[in-house]
Amino acid sequence: MGKKIEDWLEVRIGLNDLRRTQLLEYRVPKNINLLYTLGFAAMIGYVIQVISGIFLLIYYIPHPGYAFGSVQDIMSKVPYGWLFRQIHIVGGNLLIATVLLHMLTVFLMGNYSRPRELTWVGGGLMLIITFIFGLSGYLLPWSQLSYWATTVVSSIPSAFPIIGDATARIFKGGDQVSGTTLSRFFALHVAILPPIFLFLMGLHVFLIRRIGISATPFGMSDDEKRPLTEFRKKTHTDGHPFYPYFFQKMMFMVMMYGAVMFFAITFLPTLFLPVEANTPADPLKTPSHIKPEWYFLAPYQMLKLIPNKFFGISIQLILIGIFLLWPFLDSQKEKNILKRPVLRGVFFFLLATWIALTFWGRY
Amino acid sequence: MRYLLYLLIAIILVPSIAAAGYREEFEREFLSKPWAGEQVEVDACIGCHSSDTMKQEYRWIVENWKSSWHAQNNISCHDCHGGDPKDAAMSMSPSRGFIGTPKYAEVPDFCGKCHIGILKNYLESGHGKALKASGRGPVCITCHGTHRIDKASIDIINEQTCTKCHSYDRARRMKQALFVVEKKMGDMERDLKTLRSEGIFVDEKERSLFSTQAEFRALFHTVDVSLVSERTDDFTKKLSILDKNMQDTFAELRFRKNFSAFLMLLFAGMGVIIFIYSKLPKE
Repeated sequence: MGKKIEDWLEVRIGLNDLRRTQLLEYRVPKNINLLYTLGFAAMIGYVIQVISGIFLLIYYIPHPGYAFGSVQDIMSKVPYGWLFRQIHIVGGNLLIATVLLHMLTVFLMGNYSRPRELTWVGGGLMLIITFIFGLSGYLLPWSQLSYWATTVVSSIPSAFPIIGDATARIFKGGDQVSGTTLSRFFALHVAILPPIFLFLMGLHVFLIRRIGISATPFGMSDDEKRPLTEFRKKTHTDGHPFYPYFFQKMMFMVMMYGAVMFFAITFLPTLFLPVEANTPADPLKTPSHIKPEWYFLAPYQMLKLIPNKFFGISIQLILIGIFLLWPFLDSQKEKNILKRPVLRGVFFFLLATWIALTFWGRY
Repeated sequence: MRYLLYLLIAIILVPSIAAAGYREEFEREFLSKPWAGEQVEVDACIGCHSSDTMKQEYRWIVENWKSSWHAQNNISCHDCHGGDPKDAAMSMSPSRGFIGTPKYAEVPDFCGKCHIGILKNYLESGHGKALKASGRGPVCITCHGTHRIDKASIDIINEQTCTKCHSYDRARRMKQALFVVEKKMGDMERDLKTLRSEGIFVDEKERSLFSTQAEFRALFHTVDVSLVSERTDDFTKKLSILDKNMQDTFAELRFRKNFSAFLMLLFAGMGVIIFIYSKLPKE
């Protein structure tokens, strides 16, 4: 049966040729390490989010009167609904952690520099969209936590002069977080962001395959320091075949991703579901002790510390701009961060600040 | 490209520094919400009764109320005494429904505004009849106290309190009649708390337990031992149904834990197999 299907596909799409060119002849650098598989793990993480999200979509009702009840029904009445919701919640947070780690390692290994500027920018945009996914999905359960967290976050644009109030109103669909906000966030979460994200992911994967995987600077020297006058694909003729060498590494990372996710679901089921997440939204009752998700804690704390809020937000936007356009700003030919003390110092200072602000915001 | 970015930074930074100060809505939403610290609600009753200008004999009221069951359930001064806590000048105006301190004989009606079932049973009881006949029978505050009102429990029935008016013998028999159901309700309350901390939405179960508790405790206010004993079976059955439901939820939680632990081990195991396989010598 298997052979028949294979033959059927062979005569139609040239399966063997695909296998040879895309898996066996496609080579990766000899000194490639496990950190290179984080991007693939993140991609699988997105697939998990899509599958679990579609399952939740079947039962979820995007209406203020029913949203909370429908989520509770998913948790208690729908067979294995709890599992899909937990996968979606824990998976979402793990995904953000994986993407952050992926970008961190790409940065540290200098793999953002030419000719991979577009790959970096695409990845950065995907990270921002992932944050917006997190923000928009946060409101959907219509709990006290989600309602009040969104009330605070959606007021941030109003710190801008002239366009601020209008932007905040467009965001919320009015002066308050209401059913209109829920509809907008729902549409954003399930219909507007996914196609944009898919396009960026397609572009990202295409660029990686087209340009070729960058060799890590911690090992052999890189010939990419040559003047960039013509397109030359990095083929790594002396490297390992993608299959099975790198494929096994990727599969190992995916299994670890799953193991960590189910570890959190088993032993820390309420890590992302505090009591306020289990209480229906009440616009008349402001709960205490509500904080944004961990990945927004650092910007939140920074905004609290800077007295001029517009200035605080501007600084953050500038940092995002620098982060996105870094490959264009970094003119040094040396890729290895170990040989660049200034960049290393600034990078670790920013990282330590981000971690410190996150903990400060939490406690 | 770099110069373009520098220009963009300058365009954003210069006006942002110039536009110092807060935007009104941002300040209202971001800085006044709990994210930026505890929210303080204005309450004229609490403000005045806590201030140094208040007579010492009235100042303890706020402290006592703060540790009460009412405070824990957001029942504030105006819920019982009327008035308008948002408007200091009119806070004690009869036109805003201010009642103030009720007379002794009016206490049951004062509390019975909310505790309707209990009031009915109390009025039909020996306690209520004594008040009606002599104006000196026990009222709510005789057993429950004022302001520092604890959560109802059978510990309120004790020799010290009951013997203020009569012998403890009858009260002891009442306490024995109540014990089984009260203990069951106490255990179930603890279980509900555990379920809530495990992320289970228990509002429906809490409502069901609360209504059974209220009904049972209202029954107690008849101070009729034989009636309480007679109805104990009904309440035990009612509670058993709810308890079964809760135990099923606990079993479901155990299943969930085991199932996700199985999936975790499955992924970890497959990871180990892939790792070992990748280390095997290839042809």
